[in-house]
Amino acid sequence: MISFFRKLGWLTERRRKEDELREELQFHLDEEAEQRQAEGLAKDQARWAACRDLGNVLLIQESTRAVWTWTFFEQLVQDLRYALRAMIHNRAFTALAALSLALGIGANTAIYSFLDALLLRSLPVSDPASLVVLNWRAKVWRGDSVVEAMSGSIYDDSRMGSVSGIFPYPAFELLQNSDTVFSEVFAFCRTQEVRTMNVTIKGQADLAHGELVSGDYFRGLAVRPAAGRLIIPDYDRTGAAAVAVVSHAFSEKHFGGAGSAVGQTILINNLPFTVVGVTPPEFFGVDPAAAPDVCLPMHTNILLGAANQFGFRANDYLDQNYYWVEIMARLRPGVSLAQAQAALAPRFQQWVATTATNDRQRANLPALTLKEGATGLDTLRRQFSKPLYVLMALVGLILAIACSNVANLLLARAASRKHEIALRLSVGAGRLRIFRQLLTESVLLALLGGVGGVLFAIWGIRFLTLLLAGGPQRVTLNAELNWHVLGVTAALSLITGVLFGLAPALQSTHLDLASALKETRAGQPRARHMSWRVNLSKILVVGQIAISLLILVAASLFVRTLSNLRSIELGFNRENVLLFQLNARQAGHRDPEIAEFYGNLRERFAAIPGVRGASLARSTLIGGEHGLPISVPGAPPNDANRFLAVGPGFLTTMQIPILAGRDIEERDHSGSQPVAVINDRFAKINFGGANPLWRHLILWKPGKDKYPARDMEIVGVASNARYGGMKQEIPPVVYIAYDQGFPQPNEMVFALRTTGDPLAFVSSVREIVRQADARMPVSEVRTQKAEIEDAIHQEITLADLSSVLAMLALTIAGVGLYGTMSYTVARRTGEIGIRMALGAEPRAVVRMVLREVLVLAAAGLTISVPAALGASKFVESFLFGMKPNDPLALTLAVAILLGAALLAGYVPARKASRIDPMTALRHE
Amino acid sequence: MSRQPPSRVELLQGTLDVLILRTLLRRPAHGHAIAKHIQRTSEDLLQVETGSLYPALHRLEAKGWIAASWELSDKGKRARYYRLTPRGRKQLATEQSKWQAFSRAIGLILNPMDEEAR
Repeated sequence: MISFFRKLGWLTERRRKEDELREELQFHLDEEAEQRQAEGLAKDQARWAACRDLGNVLLIQESTRAVWTWTFFEQLVQDLRYALRAMIHNRAFTALAALSLALGIGANTAIYSFLDALLLRSLPVSDPASLVVLNWRAKVWRGDSVVEAMSGSIYDDSRMGSVSGIFPYPAFELLQNSDTVFSEVFAFCRTQEVRTMNVTIKGQADLAHGELVSGDYFRGLAVRPAAGRLIIPDYDRTGAAAVAVVSHAFSEKHFGGAGSAVGQTILINNLPFTVVGVTPPEFFGVDPAAAPDVCLPMHTNILLGAANQFGFRANDYLDQNYYWVEIMARLRPGVSLAQAQAALAPRFQQWVATTATNDRQRANLPALTLKEGATGLDTLRRQFSKPLYVLMALVGLILAIACSNVANLLLARAASRKHEIALRLSVGAGRLRIFRQLLTESVLLALLGGVGGVLFAIWGIRFLTLLLAGGPQRVTLNAELNWHVLGVTAALSLITGVLFGLAPALQSTHLDLASALKETRAGQPRARHMSWRVNLSKILVVGQIAISLLILVAASLFVRTLSNLRSIELGFNRENVLLFQLNARQAGHRDPEIAEFYGNLRERFAAIPGVRGASLARSTLIGGEHGLPISVPGAPPNDANRFLAVGPGFLTTMQIPILAGRDIEERDHSGSQPVAVINDRFAKINFGGANPLWRHLILWKPGKDKYPARDMEIVGVASNARYGGMKQEIPPVVYIAYDQGFPQPNEMVFALRTTGDPLAFVSSVREIVRQADARMPVSEVRTQKAEIEDAIHQEITLADLSSVLAMLALTIAGVGLYGTMSYTVARRTGEIGIRMALGAEPRAVVRMVLREVLVLAAAGLTISVPAALGASKFVESFLFGMKPNDPLALTLAVAILLGAALLAGYVPARKASRIDPMTALRHE
Repeated sequence: MSRQPPSRVELLQGTLDVLILRTLLRRPAHGHAIAKHIQRTSEDLLQVETGSLYPALHRLEAKGWIAASWELSDKGKRARYYRLTPRGRKQLATEQSKWQAFSRAIGLILNPMDEEAR
């Protein structure tokens, strides 16, 4: 075979070789003509004979050229150049098509990048694939269980029961002796002492997020320090020096650089720690949802908890029923996850059985499971993967709509090109060749759309990052365009190009040549072909309408959910309330002075001009999560009871109506009779219809020995108000005074009812706090309204995004419908002209066109309404206050769709009614 | 537009190649002369499709079996003359023996049938 390199060499000589061939063939023709002449033919006869003898000169040239170059690539280059010229020539069409594609592909790429970052991005450590996260699973953990106390989260999974990642410390020690399967085992936790800490550096107080880590944590993760050294097992002992490792960002913010941080002394919750090292910039811990600023050795929690009544005690390290520490490990080379699980589950099973005290507990023991740890803990995934999948489905549908739009546009264009194609077919082009050329055009268009899509994606990713992660967390969700995602985008573009180019390309080459070459109306393709094209166009539009309805239904469901949530009965007034948090204990104050300190602050706040009321509470009403055993004397404590430690006038400040008795007031302080205010629910459950006032309630200290902490008198009944989450039912709540004994106040939330914008008062608040104690930062400053919006952040995002997507889908589908109807009207110009000449009124023509539009819409609806009803089951978990088959949402969606369809069809209908019968008939 | 079933094209290509090589064994010639020669020498039995001659010539040239140069024809016009190269000569010998073996084999098969029929 002729070698590659020789062909390459001939590339430059092409022109010359073609000229020579032409000359050679001309010589042949001349010779042959002369010969024929010599045989007796006339001159021109001889010429013709010679030409006939030689045959198709162009074909000879083509065949010869095939010897010199790679025909395929030459033809490809030809096709590309032609396609480019055509695209530049039809700017409007190209722009419209490329734009629809860019939007569709861009949206898909953006969402996919997020999913990629969320699900596939590994921890920035070496060999993340060998990391495992230890979990346990049990049928139901509430009630009687070996988990007597916990600090962390337990997830309820409908399939697997309860799943959690927290373990007792003795379990960690047991699992540390697993040299056969693990090369490293390490633990970490974020208890309340370190989740948010007061860090004072050179007198400047700030808040930081911390994490407690075991001695092998950094070795297990194989992380190298950016400066200094990281925590080693030597530091993780009771009595070791108090050291800290800070994050790179933290060191830059507070010390000006990693190097300058090492050796510095900082105060954490008023206790001195020495910074020994700085983690590298890409390190974010093991949970992408919570990057720590400071890592401390685990045993320092005894130091930190000493000042706190609920704080960590040295005994807790020995407690077999207190679940608080999270564990990860690295598999030995050659050991698989399944092998490790098989080896360890029985050992854990044996151990946990010894911690059970009765048969009921033994029947429901936690079972050890190992999970892959390459991507770290799955907190983020739990939170975001479902909404992202829903969004991915929606944008996938949008891409389908965009593709069918472009297909429709191409079909229309192919109609106008049929003359050109017929010509080319008749001159000798092969069907395949033309097919390839048309396909090249659509792939080029798709690639153009893909490039635009990448640009849209970059913008979209930034927008989505703000939207999704704008919630309460510090989320390390760095979605970016990496090669992986770009590859998927390129594949998407190619596939869409082939998909939407296929039908028009196939159709265009099925032409009745003779009639196509003629230009008269009789030259319109036969009815059979015609109905094929029109039917395809209509099918595409019906498909677009169907898909738009699906997206519309999703959007209306989410929007209705959001409006349901926003209008939910709160039980208190959310307007003009400023919330902020102070932690006196972490700043160095101690009992019993803390209560007085808070009381003074409250009075100073109440004195600010413009503040109508000031109070404080252990947590906000939405964020509440506290339960301690509270019981009516004689009855056992009920787990469902919730309590909130509040300051004087809290209920009044939050404007919760008092149904009987009074609010907690200033006369209730330490020393006076402990009082409580119950909510209506509590009253009904525990006292029925009887008057609960002046009855007593007992607050018990948590733990095995039942020790009564407070004996309270009920002085008031409050109306039911939200406690803990927007979607849950209001539980029975007891409001107690914060300064009347156990539990002593820790961090408190202050609530100020203001006249006008609450945020205008922030500077006064900060000044008052600074004067009272400069070491205490004011944190979590927000309005009550903003807190509620934060709580429903996901619903807001879904509603906003799906509305945008629905509008997008409607626009694209509307354009498609408009195009199809315009084409239909244009095709039927003659018929309409005849109708009008025979006396049809313009209104009747409009009605006729709109009727056709409605038929298309109805066809789309018949497909999509059942599909919508079926698919809405998937989004059931996102909805609130309604069933997935909500008729109102469905009706709304259908109404919007029909309205949009009629709007899109109106302009072509008007145009049809304006047809001048004379011109129309003459056009024939 | 000529449409040829693939198998015939292959056969024709192979045959045409060897005919061209043989024609050029005697002396160099231009395309037209080669066509006429083949026609004449085969007693007009082989109607060479002139259109396939030139691609064949260029293919053989690309393979290096013949070489071409522009010369003045006997009538004084510029023409592209082809001549056999040493490699082409070798190729011709190979092809010739292949064809002879082929026709001998066919003949052997055909002749016994004749004898039986008698």
